Amino acid sequence: MDNSIEIENLTKIYSGRVTAVDNVSLKIGRGMIYGLLGQNGAGKSTLIKILTGVLKPTSGTARIAGNDLNKDSLKIRRITGVVPQDLTTDGDLSGRENLKLVAELYDVPKKEAEERIEVLLKMVDLYDVRNRHASAYSGGMRKRLELVCGLVNTPEVLFLDEPTLGLDVTTRENLWSYIRSIQKEFKITIILTTHYLDEVDSLADKLSIIDHGKIIISGTSEELKKSLNGDIITLKLKNDDEINKIGEFKNATEIKLMENKEIRMKVSNSDEILPVLMKYLSDNSISPESINIRKPSLDEVFIEYTGRNINAEQENKDYAKFMRAR
Amino acid sequence: MGGLIPLTVRDLKRWYRNPVSAVVGVIQPIFWIVLFGSAFDIAKFAGANTPAIFEGAPDYITYLMGGILTIIGLFTGMFSGINIIWDRRLGILQRLLMAPINRASIVFSRILSSVVRIFIQVAILFGIAFVMPNGLKIVNGISIIDVVILISAVLMISFIFSSLFSIIAVRTTKMETVFGIVNLINLPLMFASYAMFPPDLMATWLSNVAKYNPVSWSSQSIRMVLIHGSLTSSEAHTVLIYMLGLLALSVFMLVMTYIVSNREIRE
Ligand SMILES: Nc1ncnc2c1ncn2[C@@H]1O[C@H](COP(=O)(O)OP(=O)(O)OP(=O)(O)O)[C@@H](O)[C@H]1O
Ligand SMILES: [Mg+2]
Repeated sequence: MDNSIEIENLTKIYSGRVTAVDNVSLKIGRGMIYGLLGQNGAGKSTLIKILTGVLKPTSGTARIAGNDLNKDSLKIRRITGVVPQDLTTDGDLSGRENLKLVAELYDVPKKEAEERIEVLLKMVDLYDVRNRHASAYSGGMRKRLELVCGLVNTPEVLFLDEPTLGLDVTTRENLWSYIRSIQKEFKITIILTTHYLDEVDSLADKLSIIDHGKIIISGTSEELKKSLNGDIITLKLKNDDEINKIGEFKNATEIKLMENKEIRMKVSNSDEILPVLMKYLSDNSISPESINIRKPSLDEVFIEYTGRNINAEQENKDYAKFMRAR
Repeated sequence: MGGLIPLTVRDLKRWYRNPVSAVVGVIQPIFWIVLFGSAFDIAKFAGANTPAIFEGAPDYITYLMGGILTIIGLFTGMFSGINIIWDRRLGILQRLLMAPINRASIVFSRILSSVVRIFIQVAILFGIAFVMPNGLKIVNGISIIDVVILISAVLMISFIFSSLFSIIAVRTTKMETVFGIVNLINLPLMFASYAMFPPDLMATWLSNVAKYNPVSWSSQSIRMVLIHGSLTSSEAHTVLIYMLGLLALSVFMLVMTYIVSNREIRE
């Protein structure tokens, strides 16, 4: 059995109304870093909460390391580590006491726990402040403490729910390298949710795009980019007349009208098509406000499959959310 | 019940580290005893009849002791519920729900720590009652069995109320729910009981209601051992009935808490 996680038709409907997770099925191989990419409200956290036993699914099931979610919840909780999106450490305890409490809850033998806690604290640069109350940590320190709380029991499967939300660039990159090194060292399976494209691009071996509770598409980052079948050209036009005319351009494999009179055109190879397009534009006296050529990227993949741009209106929300999480 | 002890220790740590709650925990018993026991000395009116009206007590403070010990259990018990809601609000509960522990131990640790706190308050209260002028008078001596009865009564009544308020807190995210219930039931439970006044001073209907109130059972049991020392067989019989009532209620609450917290506790 080489799947660490097998999700079958999992659905979660909150209070009979909001369908947060919609019939999700997914297999995640052992020892990989798997990314779940989706916007705010896509259902990422809900999925993680179900898989970690915090929430009960409305229907469906999952197996984690061979254990059934609905039957062996205790066993699953024993072998998983979680770094939730919200802060879950106790501000009235010091960083070290928080880790000690977690170790006790997971029955880690005392001697072993002490050694491990020291290693972990040093790993995230919290050793010097280990005896300070967690409430006196900065946001980034607190987040790092959360991260190591998920590692105290040396889990087989580690869930990271937006682990770098609200962290500065350096801390983010440090965290990425921690995550990579943890995965290498302990050979664990890591499930990582995020709405940062660069995060999945840099970390995940495979990923799924999740939108409105549904898995839209899965694959490696390369596979998803290839699935776009070519490059993207976007044109910003001025009026409907121009839009109609560009609709008749024959050399594009696909032409879509986006918001604000923006045309999104897929072409097999932008290097060859661009001269043809330029001629077509001048022949039809279309003068776009802007032309943009993009090689396939996860950005484009996301737009292609969800019809929306993941970064639009996201960044400002992040800060607000991070403040709330504190 | 893995997790019970570490979680209880954590809860107590938070309590004694918070200067406000620790100081309040110490001052509260002083208020109780000073305000109700001496400022409020209704035995003055009884004069020489005091022992007759107050079931053999030489003064009101001595009479009141059993009631106050019980009421401390009643009022401190609500903190077990409030702390569960705090944990939910702060996100800590999510961490506990992910841990491989029996979920009942999340709730029982709260109950246990609140029982410990009640015992500390009870000990302080006893100390104060003894040293204060015109304080507690144990005229007929006290035996080991009396002490066991006293401790068991305090233990059971604190357990009953701590678990009651914990069950309420198992699902709610609102502090107001607990406060609302506290307001709704605590004062009636206190006044419709023998905690502060003997049945002879009550309207007949009230004293009939008070008979079935566990607050009365605990107050009376503690009171009888404090006032009488070694009990006559009819007194012992009464205390036994009260104690069995408390025991039955405790067992019922234990089972309820276990079932409800295991099934219903939410993030
Ligand atoms: N406790 C709840 N009760 C009702 N609805 C909820 C609850 N928690 C989440 N939801 C709803 O479920 C949907 C999915 O939420 P979820 O938190 O899983 O999204 P997410 O992908 O983690 O988003 P984000 O990136 O903002 O963390 C949202 O529409 C949200 O409003
Ligand atoms: Mg989320």
